[in-house]
Amino acid sequence: MDEFDVIETPENVDLQRRLAGIGSRFAAGLLDTLLFAGALVILLLVLLVSGLMVLDDGPGLVREAGVWVIALLVVLLFLVYWGYFVLFETWMNGQTPGKRYLRIRVVQQEGAAVSFPTIAIRNLLRVVDLQGFYAVAGATMFLTRRVQRLGDLAAGTVVISEEVPDYAAKSDTRTTVPGALAPVPAALEAAHLRPEEYRLLYNYWLRRDQLSLEARRQLLPKLLGPILERTGTVPAENTLAALERYLEDLLRRALVPGRDSGPEEQP
Amino acid sequence: MTGAGFSETRQARWDRLEALVSRAQKGGLRALTETELHELTRLYPAAAVDVARARLHQADPGRQRRMNQLAIAAHGLLYRRTSAGGLQAVWHFFRGDYPRLFRRLWPCLVLATVIFLVGALGAYVSSRLVPSHAYLFVPHGLDVSDPGEVTSADISERFRQMPNPPMAAGIMSNNISVAFHAFALGITAGIGTCYVLLMNAMMLGGFAAHFANHGLSYPLWSFLAPHGVLEIFAILVSAAAGLRLGFALALPGARTRGASLRLGARDAVLLVLGTIPMFAVAAFMEGFVTPSYLPGAVKIVLGVTIAAVVVAYLLLVGRDAPAGVRHVHAGQESDS
Repeated sequence: MDEFDVIETPENVDLQRRLAGIGSRFAAGLLDTLLFAGALVILLLVLLVSGLMVLDDGPGLVREAGVWVIALLVVLLFLVYWGYFVLFETWMNGQTPGKRYLRIRVVQQEGAAVSFPTIAIRNLLRVVDLQGFYAVAGATMFLTRRVQRLGDLAAGTVVISEEVPDYAAKSDTRTTVPGALAPVPAALEAAHLRPEEYRLLYNYWLRRDQLSLEARRQLLPKLLGPILERTGTVPAENTLAALERYLEDLLRRALVPGRDSGPEEQP
Repeated sequence: MTGAGFSETRQARWDRLEALVSRAQKGGLRALTETELHELTRLYPAAAVDVARARLHQADPGRQRRMNQLAIAAHGLLYRRTSAGGLQAVWHFFRGDYPRLFRRLWPCLVLATVIFLVGALGAYVSSRLVPSHAYLFVPHGLDVSDPGEVTSADISERFRQMPNPPMAAGIMSNNISVAFHAFALGITAGIGTCYVLLMNAMMLGGFAAHFANHGLSYPLWSFLAPHGVLEIFAILVSAAAGLRLGFALALPGARTRGASLRLGARDAVLLVLGTIPMFAVAAFMEGFVTPSYLPGAVKIVLGVTIAAVVVAYLLLVGRDAPAGVRHVHAGQESDS
């Protein structure tokens, strides 16, 4: 189940954000952890090798240089450990490689892009969130309305999903709707339809191929029931096909007569 | 939105918006040219209006959702807090914001200091009275079980065997980690911060008592002072940050708990980030001055002087800021 969160934009329009679920956030976290553990392991190996070089009674110059290389490596280790998330989220506007892959992003609760102090807060608090393999994070995400871990709560951030649904591919493929969404009041009345009923039925029509046959068989009689009763119509057969034919006809009648419009099967 | 909702021109605009947004999502705003950026700022408000109109006319939910997702993505790209980035921001911060923040949060620092002193003095007194108690407070790795053999020269000698640069780097990393933990554990209403603070205080107290028991106080302090004074001060500041966070959560006052936490976290994280340079200076001292052959008195003076300079900076810098540039948080002006 998708969870949503509404923000009011400066344009006075309420936009709905789809919050990233616990699943995708853990997947992104796992990916990032693998990347950053890999980096740490490589650094540690290099550190080990240069440490051996320094211990070895090699030429003085190698020792001198080696000492500084080790110092640099220690600083790098520290930077990767504490900085991986902070630096990536700063550079990539709220994303890390893992988050990029899963198409999720950190944003401010109010909707703006994240700023550096907020990123620092949520990622320094990670040391608390990751206790017990991120059990603390999981628990707070489960309990908060906006799926926030402790770091998010303190920083005032949410993680949102940026996947843009591929609308055209999923619905509307079998129906052409050239200029036909708005019904004509007079025609509605003639078809004994209330506006909200029309919208409901129309949406059913658009999305019917996303529903299972079983669901359609259960749903459609309920939707049509009151209308059939009101108009005293009895469908020829009580099959789904017959009811949908009736529905199609009904929707067609609610639109301007004569115009090439209304739900139509494409050839 | 009568009809299908999309006249040809509007559909074209949405297609354009989608193209720009998806590119900016992958490569950041830098991926767009200046002209495209301007285009995005013009496309977005119209798109937001389209979303509202689609909702009003109850357009097909699938389409509404798609429009909404695109609009929100554009919104996230365009709206952000304006701030100078990079080094300029860092300079601004230390030029005035940080000392002012420090002065505003002094009660937390006082509390952290009191807790630290209680822990340190408690461990010190207890180990002075019963010498074996020192082993409870000092971690085993430090290898001070037989200080009878340690002479004053030896203490520094042990450090001299380590190469300086890696030492300084390692010590700095470790100390900053402790500072970050002291801050982060503030989310436990400050209890975790007190724990970190007390552990470190008792370690120091036990250590000091252990050396005092063997008449080695002066060598120890001349050894600790060059880096230790500043290091302990920085730890106290980080703990103050943790306490700020803890208070924000535990005592939200007139605000909601969430709002109070967010406000406190912002203060606290800036306070702790500002200790990083202090730890860097302390680590430099620890790596290069502590193991040096300077006389003990010079080392002590040096350590105290550096810490005094830092405190003077925190107390004095940024007092002359013009009214308009003061630190403002959600309508609440700092009392600097």
